[in-house]
Amino acid sequence: MSTLLLWREKLQKFYAGYSTYILKALQFVTGFVLFWLINTNIGYMEMASSIVCTAGLAVICTFFPMVVMTLAAAALILVHFYALSMPIAIVSLVIFLLMYIFYFRFTPKKAWIVLLSALAFGLKVPFVLPVVFGLMGTPVWIVPAAFGIIAYYMTNLVKDSAAALRGADAEGMANSLMSFTKQLFTGREMWLMVAAVVIGILLVNLIRTRSVDHAWKIASASGAAACVIIAVVGNIALDANLSYVTLIVSACLGIAAGLVLEFLFFSVDYSRTENIQFEDDEYYYYVKAVPKVGVAVPEKEVKRITGRSHPEGKPGAPAHRAGRKGAAPEAQAQPEAAAKEPAGRHADNNTDEILLTRSLSKELGLDEGPGKTE
Amino acid sequence: MLDKKKIRLMTRAAIYEKRYGEEDIKISGYYQKDYASLNTWLTLIWVTIGFALTAVILFFSSGEAIIEGLTVMKLFILLVITAGAYFSLLIVYGIGAGSFYRKKHIQAKQRVKKYMRDLSRLEKMNLKKEKNRS
Repeated sequence: MSTLLLWREKLQKFYAGYSTYILKALQFVTGFVLFWLINTNIGYMEMASSIVCTAGLAVICTFFPMVVMTLAAAALILVHFYALSMPIAIVSLVIFLLMYIFYFRFTPKKAWIVLLSALAFGLKVPFVLPVVFGLMGTPVWIVPAAFGIIAYYMTNLVKDSAAALRGADAEGMANSLMSFTKQLFTGREMWLMVAAVVIGILLVNLIRTRSVDHAWKIASASGAAACVIIAVVGNIALDANLSYVTLIVSACLGIAAGLVLEFLFFSVDYSRTENIQFEDDEYYYYVKAVPKVGVAVPEKEVKRITGRSHPEGKPGAPAHRAGRKGAAPEAQAQPEAAAKEPAGRHADNNTDEILLTRSLSKELGLDEGPGKTE
Repeated sequence: MLDKKKIRLMTRAAIYEKRYGEEDIKISGYYQKDYASLNTWLTLIWVTIGFALTAVILFFSSGEAIIEGLTVMKLFILLVITAGAYFSLLIVYGIGAGSFYRKKHIQAKQRVKKYMRDLSRLEKMNLKKEKNRS
């Protein structure tokens, strides 16, 4: 466990040092996967579905805020739909417009949640979503998550029934318009998944914010289980076409993601929980204090052991501490590096040990190799 | 010599300018009531457009079923339901948008106040430095 905690601290330090590059790299990967998924699934316009366009869009979006990526993804979907059939493009545009009017006008910065939810469905891990959003977000995140699911099922519907929706003449266009909107809004699978994810997010968030021990673990497990139950019951009742393997595997992945998130963002030691009660003039307070778990990363520092840098009589002089005055000229000839522990005393002991070992080696004639200077 | 206090203040001011500066200054140019009511009205207009678009889409998806066997009574009930849904939506969004924009204005004002305080501190520091030089 301490090794893991050490790795976490190192990871945090690394992130703090290179956060700009890491975020941009993640943004690029997200963009590339997103545009690639769109182009491989509904790439009806050949020019827009080329790998150059996919990579180009991902690169461009990397240098802009996430809201631009959301807009680019919406535009790409619309372009492909337009290539297939104009009525479908119009209906999709209206749906995107509704998403903007009813939610994104207020929080445009949260637009990336839509992308992530659509991506999770595209990558066949739908139930990672409620666990991650419930743990890291607020109940309001259900709205963009639901929009992402709708966007995913919209593209999926077009992919599945592209031939039927394509219509050249006016009557064909009108028919495709009616049929597309009807299929989209009466899609049982879509509404079932929206319900499962929304309930999952709310449940996970509700449990996560309680002050019970292991709240994050309980929240992850119960959220994933609730999603699977809702999806399975709904699948049987509504005769939808959900894959049980996908549901169960994604729920397991959701629990794993929850554990990772807990380790990264909420590492506490429940065995040292303190329950305190006190009062003032107006209230009684029942406080539960759970200590955080953390380890200090030992910093490696190069220490030069030379006679000159430590004058005689000075407490830090290594020659004195080793109790061997004769060692000083040898140490001058070849400065040695030693790892220094954070506790100064421990570091001093290490230095003593090194010097003692070196002097013993010299006396016993153990290090008289040709390459040695001592 | 580098003045750490000054560097800290300048960094904080620069971060604020980058993140919120432009929008906050625009928002704090309004009185709270004016800002909240203007944006609430805009929201209500958008909601009306959104409701109309939703109605059109729903008509396309289940228009046939609605029109089939439509009587005057059914039409009346349909209109009442539609109007009820529209006004409920208006009320919900009106109240929500009002409180959202009031909160936004308060937060922006507080940030601007802090920013201005930092700027005046910086100015004082600069004046002190100039005095010392002269």
